[in-house]
Amino acid sequence: MTRKPSLVLNRRQALLAAGAGAATLAMPTVLRAQDKSLKVGVYGGYFKDSFDTNIFPEFTKATGIAVESVAEPTGEAWLVQLEQAGRAGVAPADVSMMSQVAMRKGLQTELWQPLDPAKIGNFDAILPPFTVKYDDGRVAGVGAVAWYITLVSNTDAFPEAPDSWATFWDADKKDKLGLLALVSNSFLLEVTAKTFFGGTDILSTDDGILKVMDKLAELKPNVQLWYRDEAQFEQALKSGEIPMGQYYHDVTGLAAADGFPVRSTFPKEGGISDSGCWAVTKASQKLNLATTFIDYMTQPEIAGLLARKVGTAPVLKRDVLDLTDKEFAAVSSEIEPIVPRYDLYVEKSDWLNQKWTELIVG
Amino acid sequence: MSAPARTNASGQAALAFPAVMLAAFFVVPFGLMIAVSFFSREQGGFYTPVLTTANYQRFLSWFFADILLFSVGLSALVSAVCLTIGAPFTYLLSRLPRRSQVPWLVAMMAVLSLSEVIIGFAWSTLLSRTAGLSNLFVAIGLMDGPEAWSPSFTAVLCGMVYQAFPYSILVLYPAFSRLDPSLSEAARTLGASPVRAFFNVIVPSLRNALVATFIIVFVFALGAYLLPQLLGRPQHWTLSVLITDQAVYQSNMPFAAAMAVFLVASSLILVLLSTMFGGRREAK
Amino acid sequence: MSTLDLVAVTKRYGDIVAVDDATLSVPPGSFVCLLGPSGCGKTTLLRIIAGLESASSGEVKFEGERIDATPVHRRDFGMVFQSLALFPHLSVRENIAYPLKIRGRGKAEREKRVAELLDLVRLPGVADRPITQLSGGQRQRVAIARALSVSPKLFLLDEPLSALDAKLREAMQVELRQLQERLGITTIVVTHDQREAMTMADAIVVMEGGRILQMDRPIDVYRKPASPFVADFLGQTNCLVAKPGKGGAEIAGGTIPGLQLGAGRREAEISVRPEDVVIRPAGDAPIPATVEFVRDMGSAVEIYLSTEAGRMIAQRASGHDALAVGDEVSLSIAPDAVVVFSEGVAR
Repeated sequence: MTRKPSLVLNRRQALLAAGAGAATLAMPTVLRAQDKSLKVGVYGGYFKDSFDTNIFPEFTKATGIAVESVAEPTGEAWLVQLEQAGRAGVAPADVSMMSQVAMRKGLQTELWQPLDPAKIGNFDAILPPFTVKYDDGRVAGVGAVAWYITLVSNTDAFPEAPDSWATFWDADKKDKLGLLALVSNSFLLEVTAKTFFGGTDILSTDDGILKVMDKLAELKPNVQLWYRDEAQFEQALKSGEIPMGQYYHDVTGLAAADGFPVRSTFPKEGGISDSGCWAVTKASQKLNLATTFIDYMTQPEIAGLLARKVGTAPVLKRDVLDLTDKEFAAVSSEIEPIVPRYDLYVEKSDWLNQKWTELIVG
Repeated sequence: MSAPARTNASGQAALAFPAVMLAAFFVVPFGLMIAVSFFSREQGGFYTPVLTTANYQRFLSWFFADILLFSVGLSALVSAVCLTIGAPFTYLLSRLPRRSQVPWLVAMMAVLSLSEVIIGFAWSTLLSRTAGLSNLFVAIGLMDGPEAWSPSFTAVLCGMVYQAFPYSILVLYPAFSRLDPSLSEAARTLGASPVRAFFNVIVPSLRNALVATFIIVFVFALGAYLLPQLLGRPQHWTLSVLITDQAVYQSNMPFAAAMAVFLVASSLILVLLSTMFGGRREAK
Repeated sequence: MSTLDLVAVTKRYGDIVAVDDATLSVPPGSFVCLLGPSGCGKTTLLRIIAGLESASSGEVKFEGERIDATPVHRRDFGMVFQSLALFPHLSVRENIAYPLKIRGRGKAEREKRVAELLDLVRLPGVADRPITQLSGGQRQRVAIARALSVSPKLFLLDEPLSALDAKLREAMQVELRQLQERLGITTIVVTHDQREAMTMADAIVVMEGGRILQMDRPIDVYRKPASPFVADFLGQTNCLVAKPGKGGAEIAGGTIPGLQLGAGRREAEISVRPEDVVIRPAGDAPIPATVEFVRDMGSAVEIYLSTEAGRMIAQRASGHDALAVGDEVSLSIAPDAVVVFSEGVAR
């Protein structure tokens, strides 16, 4: 789901905020000189700042379309705003970056205007999990950015890199793990299912989910910290206070490059892949401009730019990209990822949340 | 002839302002919250204004009763600790010459300017295994090896007391500094030791201030949602943490509102109980 | 043997000397007033006696034993504070019984004692009232009763009557003195009111600037003040400068026949109380004067006079011939009514 802005800036955000601050002074977000303009909703904070700095000016230069970027609030408030605006016929944004769960919720109310794949040059290069379609096959959203949550560890505490998520369950990990606190952002049900039950299909039934939760409950003694705030775990991981856990692949890589004793590992079961889509709300009158925007954003060069400047994983196939192996490894992996069962978080959100809270609090 | 009428009108105007403010910033939001708590949750959407009691039914379970009880108990404990440390501290502070009081008060106010996040991070570092106090104890030979004291219940308590302590001083200080210093001197000339004089005379004469402090810290602690996350294990998460989860992460406003109504109701009941308890002695 | 002895007691706060070398003996059963203007150190001295302050140097002895190191709550002295310091959260009964309760006395004994004390201070029937419902005079009595409830060895009062109105204050002065005589308890009262001191005390200790200037019976302090300050502080007085003259002493513009200033003194400061200044018709007496102002207070008349030696005040019982402003008169002063100060003349 959505990556939440951290309570405390982590290093990457701080660096970027500094750069964005300087850039904002020189250049207003809205380029009024242009006749054609497009309102683009992006997660507020890190994403918006980096898009404003690195991506949107290039787009305006290439297409002559001015971009007014709108900061999306966290949670699903943006979806609610789009729904309400849709009924009123006014669009707070033409194109929005939406979480996978929000995309699926929008499908139910036909919130998204269908996109024409023919007008998106690299549509076929987009990896299938990143495209969201209506039941009848119409395209509702196209992959925008992706990121991985992987198995991270402190290299001082664990000289050998672990190779499987199963290592979390080992007795010697007592009080050593830091895991995300919410069912909808940790995706630990999928991890457990893939690691011990041969895949995420078991999650299709309530009984299956409860069985997976029982397995997950065995993990509790090993968890020192159930975190909501990224910076708290990042700090603890770097110092070795909490030497193992799940965390973002890109940020961990940056910390390692800075000399901190941390590593990010794609276990053999795969890293957890999460992503956002570009989608056009039905209230927008600018489907054509929006399609031009999406077409631009799905070019391999732009995916490369995003990988290098923003640190997100490409949603395109590896072979069309101009990334070096090192650049690719910094943001992604060719091991088949664990793809979250987003449908669960749409259909069973409250039930899952209740069971999950009982699981870890109880 | 018009003069009294005008005074009356301006008197009402003066009352109107706080009334409007109260309505705008308390009655209306609280009313909205109660209304939302009866609305239907739309899974995969937001909520629709169709009345239902489902949100309350979901809350009425041992699971949430347990959490509510824990939250109330934790807040009461934070209040009690703040009073236990704060009352003697403020008493001694108010007996110092005014010039020596200032640095203490400034230091207290400085803590107020710290955000919950900074306090949480500072305490989690202070109580950590890798950089915390236990290393100091190891260095002076009191412990064999460093230990992680956070996350734990003690860590949550320390963080919350640290955060609430300046507020308790803020409420206690005026009452203590107005207190007639000859009260405790009188008790001593009558045969009471200084400690006994403090408990027999100072504490009861400041009863109202102490009750007020307890209530303020209690309500303040009940609203804390970051420190229990940052310093506690899941079993130390308060109702406020779960409300935040529902409101921010689950977008389940009706259920969050229902939980908040319970939280407000239980704190109101406790406030009423403590003022009644405080008032009964007064009337005697 | 005296009950309380202070030997060279000094109290300094930084550079400020609040009590300067105070030496004092209080005989058993006596009623002593510490009298002086505000800031003279009398309250500090009382607090040192009570143990609420410790002396910077010197000794405090009680019945011959040094008590400097004895904490307040073990001294068993009763004290009434200027603010009274009644415990607002307790009833009258609980206030008075407080010291008894601390000493572990039984309930029956406490009840009996509270009743006795309320009788003693003439305040029956208020035992169950909260302090907040008492009048100023009633609170005063409760404070006294509380201080006396364990029969203290020494009874200390710090400006106890200052909060009362004038009439009530005068009545309480008499009552307090009668109470003390009945109990025979050694008592020390701090006051700035000379009338209060004159009314109640066996002995008055006059203080100024931290020093004890004089300790004597009230009438002696009044009649034989040790210094012009004492003379001036206790009632009104006429302070004059006198020189030796033929057959007595001379003041500016007049003489006091028969007054001896002491061998070899070329001038001396003298004090004459207003009631010792006798007014006669002009020319009948050695000091000519003019009436400046007449203050008729009913029981007595004060006459302000201008003389060459400056303004003088005379006082006489009413019933004499009325004087009017501007009348020329003359004054006579009997030599035995004059106090001659041994100090030099301050200019």
